[in-house]
Amino acid sequence: MRELIRLLRLYRPYGLWMAGGVALGLATMLANFGLLALAGWFLASAAAVGLAGYAAQNAFNFFTPAAGVRFFATVRVLARYASRLVDHEATFRQVAALRVFLFARLVPLAPLGLVDRGGDLLGRLVADVERLSDFYPRVLVPVLVAAIASLAMALTFGLIAPAAGLALYLLLLLAGVAVPLIGLGAAAKPGRKIVALEAGLRADVVDTVQGMADLLTYGAAPAMAARIEGRDAALIAGQRRMRSIAASGAAASTLLANVAMAAMLLIGIPLLRAGLVSGPELALFVLGALGAFEAVAPLSQALPLLAPIRESTRRVFEIADRPAPVRDPGASPPRPGRLDLELRGIRLCYNAADKPERIWALNGLDLSIPQGSRMMLLGRSGAGKTSIANLLLRFAEYQEGSALLGGIELHDIRGDDVRSLFTVVSQRTFLFHGTIRDNLLLARPGATDPMLWQALEAAQLAAFVRAAPEGLDTQVGEAGARISGGEARRVALARAVLRDTPWLILDEPTEGLDPVTAAALRGALEAVMAGRTVLWITHRLEAISEADRVAVLEAGRVVESGILGVLRNSGRYLPRLLQLQQGLAHL
Amino acid sequence: MAQQLDQRLRAEARLARGALLATIALGLLAGLVVIAEAILLARIVDRAAFHGAGLQRLTPELALLGVLFLLRAGLSWAAEMTGFHASAAVRSALRRGLVTRLLRSGPVHAASEQSGDVAGTVMQGVESLDPYLARYLPQLALVALVPLAIFAAVFRLDWISGTVLLVSGPLIPFFMVLVGSQAEAVNRRQWRELLRMGAHFLDAVQGLTTLKLFGRARAEIALVGRIADDYRRTTMESLRIAFLTSAVLEFFSSLSIALVAVLFGTRLLHGRIDFYPAFLVLLLVPEFFLPLRNLATHYHARLSALAAAGRIFEVLDAKPPRRAGVLTAPEAPIALSCRGLSVAYAPGRPVLCGIDCDIPAGRMTALVGPSGAGKSTLAAALLGFVLPSQGRVMVNGTTPLDHIAPEEWWRRLAYVPQAPRLFSGTIASNLRLARPDADLPALRRAAAEAGALSFIEALPRGFDTELGEGGAGLSGGQVQRLALARAFLKDAPLLILDEATANLDLETEAELVAAIARLAAGRTAVVIAHRLATIEAAGQILVLEQGRVAEAGTHRALAAAGGVYAGMLGAAQGVAFRGLACAS
Repeated sequence: MRELIRLLRLYRPYGLWMAGGVALGLATMLANFGLLALAGWFLASAAAVGLAGYAAQNAFNFFTPAAGVRFFATVRVLARYASRLVDHEATFRQVAALRVFLFARLVPLAPLGLVDRGGDLLGRLVADVERLSDFYPRVLVPVLVAAIASLAMALTFGLIAPAAGLALYLLLLLAGVAVPLIGLGAAAKPGRKIVALEAGLRADVVDTVQGMADLLTYGAAPAMAARIEGRDAALIAGQRRMRSIAASGAAASTLLANVAMAAMLLIGIPLLRAGLVSGPELALFVLGALGAFEAVAPLSQALPLLAPIRESTRRVFEIADRPAPVRDPGASPPRPGRLDLELRGIRLCYNAADKPERIWALNGLDLSIPQGSRMMLLGRSGAGKTSIANLLLRFAEYQEGSALLGGIELHDIRGDDVRSLFTVVSQRTFLFHGTIRDNLLLARPGATDPMLWQALEAAQLAAFVRAAPEGLDTQVGEAGARISGGEARRVALARAVLRDTPWLILDEPTEGLDPVTAAALRGALEAVMAGRTVLWITHRLEAISEADRVAVLEAGRVVESGILGVLRNSGRYLPRLLQLQQGLAHL
Repeated sequence: MAQQLDQRLRAEARLARGALLATIALGLLAGLVVIAEAILLARIVDRAAFHGAGLQRLTPELALLGVLFLLRAGLSWAAEMTGFHASAAVRSALRRGLVTRLLRSGPVHAASEQSGDVAGTVMQGVESLDPYLARYLPQLALVALVPLAIFAAVFRLDWISGTVLLVSGPLIPFFMVLVGSQAEAVNRRQWRELLRMGAHFLDAVQGLTTLKLFGRARAEIALVGRIADDYRRTTMESLRIAFLTSAVLEFFSSLSIALVAVLFGTRLLHGRIDFYPAFLVLLLVPEFFLPLRNLATHYHARLSALAAAGRIFEVLDAKPPRRAGVLTAPEAPIALSCRGLSVAYAPGRPVLCGIDCDIPAGRMTALVGPSGAGKSTLAAALLGFVLPSQGRVMVNGTTPLDHIAPEEWWRRLAYVPQAPRLFSGTIASNLRLARPDADLPALRRAAAEAGALSFIEALPRGFDTELGEGGAGLSGGQVQRLALARAFLKDAPLLILDEATANLDLETEAELVAAIARLAAGRTAVVIAHRLATIEAAGQILVLEQGRVAEAGTHRALAAAGGVYAGMLGAAQGVAFRGLACAS
């Protein structure tokens, strides 16, 4: 429960809206109850008066109860309409608050604090936040309304006849709490089984779609189709079990509502005979009981949501509370004139908390890159190339050694200030859902159109954008889905031109492109590299000049470094790599 | 559009007609029981309140009431179950149909853009039909039947109240249509906006690293809040109208109860009518509106079911390539030839146009060319995954490929795609896909040939290592090696292979190239080749350009010819190896 209380505390600014939603929900329920109960009482009273003769007819106040009936009817309509609006208003405000809170917490964590072995952490996080938005309207409001309304309705009955009030309250408790909880208990095991069955079926379907060529050519397609059919049948059987439990719960609730009416008769009729209750009051009990159960009906849907919502809340706060992988100093020293990089004895690991199990991604690394030079970083996957980029961009903290940028230790500079010196072009260019212009302006807010075009020219993308009917306002689609990989890479290059930072980090910028596109991209890269300090991370030696520097990485340290023109003949590693690469040229 | 889908779904539901009719009948029966319950209740209250009857005299009525209560609970349970039965039958049939259709259409179609998220359609898409089939459809019939029965009962008791229902009943659908048509448009827009608001958050979260790199993350925090606020404002505006639909329903049901009560009140007061019919009508009036209220709750279920149905029928309606082949495939060695082979995915836009080539038996043919030249499509045509729009593929010069039964053809070949799929299960079960009866020594031999043995044996559980979905937990190079091992194990006379280019380091690439050469040796091999070493080893190179064979020959001959191939060679060397020539 602690996590839900924390969630509510987050929603505190909207307490008034939330209280309003509950109050209006309560008004709706009580008006419904009042309408039916009063109508029953009114009819019976009128009938009694009608039988009693003319004098009684004149004495009977017809107008007050008739106005009451109309009042409740009106309140029921208006309160219900208003409560739905207020509930939604409150929910939207909560969603906004939650997103802002969470996003602010995610900023210092990204990207390395948001990596999970389980895979798609971000997708799950967004789904969790989505589920949390159900907590207020679908759990909190119905539960509070049912709790308060039940008490109020039972008290109303109790004022007339305590036994009737007590009976109503107990039956409401049974229908609202016991029946859903029993159903929840009964559904727990088949529910878990269904989750597993669904996951299995989904995995098979994904396998079928993505591995269809393998299945067909290995003659395994009929077996897979049969397996899917079998899993589908098992899933349906599991669902039938769940449906039966749910239907039993619903039937039990209906039955309890009916039993309540019967109980009113069984309690009311002897009291009536004893003169303790009037005929109209008996009618009030019966119809009131009918209305009362509407208050607890939503609980059978609300309570099962509670456990998954708590689970989602727990996960969301677990992520929000993660310690940032890198701690920022309060302020940065002034920017030095030269930005030479000097790494000495650097050791870096991603599981620093786990002292005995530390795995060093960088293990005693020495590297220096003077301002204005180009350094090509070679090495097998896992050698630590990307860790160097993470270190420079302050995404990961180094535990030992010294990393000086322009003579200042990196961890004495604020992360945002460090990153303002670097531009990264990698194989994973993230494009935001929006136009090409939006995606370019990210690199330089306030850039004019001529500046954008100039950047596009440099990235060799101007012709493509000019040919598109919408020009700069062409939509790139979700995560850049509407433009090709090569074009996305060029957008990244154009961003780099606009940003104009002293340092450029190229992280396998041509990986995954076909050779022709890759060759063209390399041409565009030349323009972007001009005049900057470049760190080029790659596992294939790319087009650089003989005067550029090369470092070969192995197991987190530099095993060979120097000028390319020298090393290609005299080096220990480089000649072999070049030999290997010659045969593996991509065509 | 929505109406067509509604009709189509109802046609599909005919499959479970019996169960649906049973659901409707049970629902109607439950409605009649409700009327009977009300009659009994009203009688009991009337006799107790106005005729001095005690519990003893009312025992038969009370007992019967108890029986009816149980009956009603039982009926509502049974109606749920028959509804589920109907929905399950239809969903199973649709799912089976989708899988069959996908397998028949083949991998090229399944991967095409128009089929979208196929797996999602087969899973969540089919599941989201459940509320529509199990509840909405039966409720649609009940909404006409139950209120009619109740109206008849009320009208017999009291024509004035009957008139109130007669007027308000039909007015509800009328007003709902009036408000609803507007609300539906508003509603749909609102859903889209809700989606967009969700999408923006997802976008921002997924792009967080990029935002940080550009120093825009802090600015985005405010933007996340502002966009959520903007959407709240526009959405609330439209919700004000959208909620009117249910308010109309609420209004009429409340108004009717109040009107009936007040109208009865005056008459009762003057003794013009008995208490019994008045009370009975009051009990029945809320039930009159109940089916309509139930139907309204399924509104969103219907919208999402229709959206899913649209995607489901799109897949089901796609025309699969027709395959008439019945012949068995010829024995080894296999030679292939293409004669005037053209393939078009869309009419008038051929990907291959008039390919003529010979693929000799027992040697490797490399397919080379820029992306989009038609290499994959040619391989797909040789695999029988796509059918030619013109021309044909001949096997051993005599048998047209499309005369051979596809399963027979696939038995004679091993295919290694660029992104091979590993299935959940052990490494051994993944390899045995190629030969179910292979023993461990055979698996080890195949793994050794593919260069996979050392990493498999380094795993704690060796060949019994469980792989995650899609081979999760393995590196790209390891997945490639396992796929090659699978092909070694199959030992088929024909090999069709698409060389991987993804993210492999040089050492891994070199090992894969060597394994591919071992695999191709002695077989008819068609390799979509990207690496110079593989291409040089081929007996024949087919250079494709814009769907045609631009050149064919050996590496040496083509390099000397100074054509397209020589140009590609020069470009690759010039860019990647500037300065290498002087070194070697």
